[in-house]
Amino acid sequence: MGLPMLGIRRVRIARRSRFEALRGLYIHCYNEKNPHTRGLRLLRAWLSPPQLEQFNAKRHFDVIGCATGRRYRIHYGTSMNVYELDDAGRPQVGRCFLPEGRLVPGDVMLAQKIALETSEIRALSVAINFVPMRRILSL
Amino acid sequence: MPTQIVMNHNGDTRHHFDARDVAALAKAEERFKQLTGEGFTAAVRTKPGEVIRISSFNPNAEETVFFPRLIGG
Repeated sequence: MGLPMLGIRRVRIARRSRFEALRGLYIHCYNEKNPHTRGLRLLRAWLSPPQLEQFNAKRHFDVIGCATGRRYRIHYGTSMNVYELDDAGRPQVGRCFLPEGRLVPGDVMLAQKIALETSEIRALSVAINFVPMRRILSL
Repeated sequence: MPTQIVMNHNGDTRHHFDARDVAALAKAEERFKQLTGEGFTAAVRTKPGEVIRISSFNPNAEETVFFPRLIGG
């Protein structure tokens, strides 16, 4: 291979790596500003350390209702994602409630956590109950 | 700097204010009243993972999060 060919090849490699770096930067910036990412970042910042650990491992976390002391499991999602657990930790009944408007999953889950931990009765009074899905029962 | 975080379809909107600035403080308090008047719930963190709902403006809270009225799904 002649010297001019080697030079062209080096230029191409340099261009490609610059392109990859720019692409990575673009993806990073997009993700930083993406509503879903921001919602999840806010949720993670407001979870307790055990809740955060559970969420990172299983995409759900447990909260204790402030009025009844019952345990609820909040799954990743925006609706039909809250389950009241029995003493054995199995989903007993689904409680569907969410903040008004089209919010991203992280925001919805944070609102559900805050509602159950600070005003459980009010949250339950608006919630629509549903039978847990078989998929959830097996988790 | 204290921040009011208002959840919306864009994720959230953040309003930072200087608690020593009287005008900024008044504006933040006005925003608090307006949002809670519209049915938003306001909550602050007391320690990692622990939250309390507040019904009056707390200028010392590092972060106050607001979410819209709850509805059945």
